[in-house]
Amino acid sequence: MNHKKAYELYENSVKILMENQHENGGFYASPPGTRYPFIYPRDHSMAIIGSVDAGLMDQAKKGLDFVLSSQKPLGEFSQRYDVDGNDASYKDLQIDGNGLVLYALGKYFEGSGGSFFEAMADKEFVLKHWEAIEKAVGFILMNKNEEVDLIHTVNSIHEYPAYEHGFEIYANSACCAGIFAAVKMGKALGKDVSQWEEEANKIRNSIMAKLYSARRRSFIKCIRVKDRTSNPIGYDAFASSVIDVDAVEYAPAFFGLVDDTDIKVRSTVKRIHENLWDKEIGGLNRYPEMWDRNNGGYGPWPHFTCELAHHYIRVDNQDMADLYLEWVVDMAHKNQLPEHISTIERFEMWVEDYTSAKILRDSKLKMIENTRNHPKWQDGLAYVTIPLIWPHAEFISVYRSYMEKYG
Amino acid sequence: MIRLENMLPKAFLMGIMEMVDRFGPEETFNWLVDIGIKLAEIEGPGFEGARENNVNYLPVCPFGSDLVEFVEMYGGEQPSQFLELIEHVKNKKEASEDGWNYPALSGVLGILHYSYSKKRAELAGAELLSLGAKSPLTNDLEYNYKAIERAGMTKEEVDDYLKKSYCVFKIDYHDKE
Repeated sequence: MNHKKAYELYENSVKILMENQHENGGFYASPPGTRYPFIYPRDHSMAIIGSVDAGLMDQAKKGLDFVLSSQKPLGEFSQRYDVDGNDASYKDLQIDGNGLVLYALGKYFEGSGGSFFEAMADKEFVLKHWEAIEKAVGFILMNKNEEVDLIHTVNSIHEYPAYEHGFEIYANSACCAGIFAAVKMGKALGKDVSQWEEEANKIRNSIMAKLYSARRRSFIKCIRVKDRTSNPIGYDAFASSVIDVDAVEYAPAFFGLVDDTDIKVRSTVKRIHENLWDKEIGGLNRYPEMWDRNNGGYGPWPHFTCELAHHYIRVDNQDMADLYLEWVVDMAHKNQLPEHISTIERFEMWVEDYTSAKILRDSKLKMIENTRNHPKWQDGLAYVTIPLIWPHAEFISVYRSYMEKYG
Repeated sequence: MIRLENMLPKAFLMGIMEMVDRFGPEETFNWLVDIGIKLAEIEGPGFEGARENNVNYLPVCPFGSDLVEFVEMYGGEQPSQFLELIEHVKNKKEASEDGWNYPALSGVLGILHYSYSKKRAELAGAELLSLGAKSPLTNDLEYNYKAIERAGMTKEEVDDYLKKSYCVFKIDYHDKE
């Protein structure tokens, strides 16, 4: 890996995080005036984790204060918020946001204590928000199906109900890890969290058993179920499985529910790499091209590429870690990372598909214009939505892990 | 087609007709407003839909499919109770000094929609003005001219939003001005 370029990207990523936090505490998904000038709890949580890993503890705390104070009365964190913390959703439930906020809070709590956890951890902050934590866990458990002990959602990380409505792996992993984080914080505060721990263990066991296909030797994307209370789920109107490869099938290990050396994780990552590593331009795609929901053209995403790089670092496969991280570093434009990258041919194919189908809307027309006007277009590449804050946060985390191991 | 699992929206619309028949349009109006407020209190502060600066709009009509299906059961014509209720609200809006405080109404469910959205805005510290709406049944446009004036906008500006949406609101943060 080109260490000089990687360090420059790291430094700029830290700068981008700092510059894109509103004074109220919310991290924009993309800068004001661009495609996503709102605060999405999913992106926001990753920005908080990136801040913790970069040592920006004040920024992380401010970000947590913002999102925990914006919780909805039932305990849900919305799809997105405006800078004042008002719900500005336009999509249905995405319960991974609840898990991610708790998980990010747990990372902050751990980070605030460091090597002197007992004495230094920011218990006061966690105590201040304990009611929000209780409601957040309660909301997750409210959406647990008692027959299968899995969490139900409509949307997850791709905001795509066609493949995510039901018991989806990223949402379940994030929520399970979020409850475990709440358990850890509760124990540190002397709270009785035994019930939460029991529930989190049930969910983890179900992920390992029901969202893993032994014959495919891979975690699977989703058990499609329409209604969270369906019981028996076999009679649910949607009852089916999504077994297509998806980058987030790595989620159980990403969130620390299972060790990266576990054979289930290794074989899942092998399937992901074999099917989603882009043969033409490198980098990791998020799901198969034939889903044909390829806004901005099919192509690799820096933040999913960073997430899988964690696996290779954890299993000490430096060659593969280098392959993944070198790609991210090489693709950065002026030390900025886009949402994803496509080729001109694939980009225009997508424009044609969506134009013919009459499903292009205003925001996408603007994105098309911006992509065609970006300097990388002249190199034959479509850089879609740049910078996106999320991949910068992911790069910070994975760069620190890489340097800790190999630096 | 009615199936038990999708009966509720139709049952609710039938309930509105029953309410008008039994208690009249004023009671039905108040009933729908109360439902919207109570649901908003459960959901909390916020603004659903697309936003440009302080204009909030919905590119898709949230109740459109249910309403169209229901009206089709009546041969494509809105039940007389719906028309009576819409007329009643329009009259209230015209007669009231604070007519800006009523919805631009293209269908009976706009009453529920506006009371819910207005209460959520109020919880967020803002006043929500209903400027215009487009009927999912006929594409006819409805306006609240008093609200448009209070918002400091023009009908033409509202029309621009209605070309790409079914309802247009203005979010006013008086305390931020």
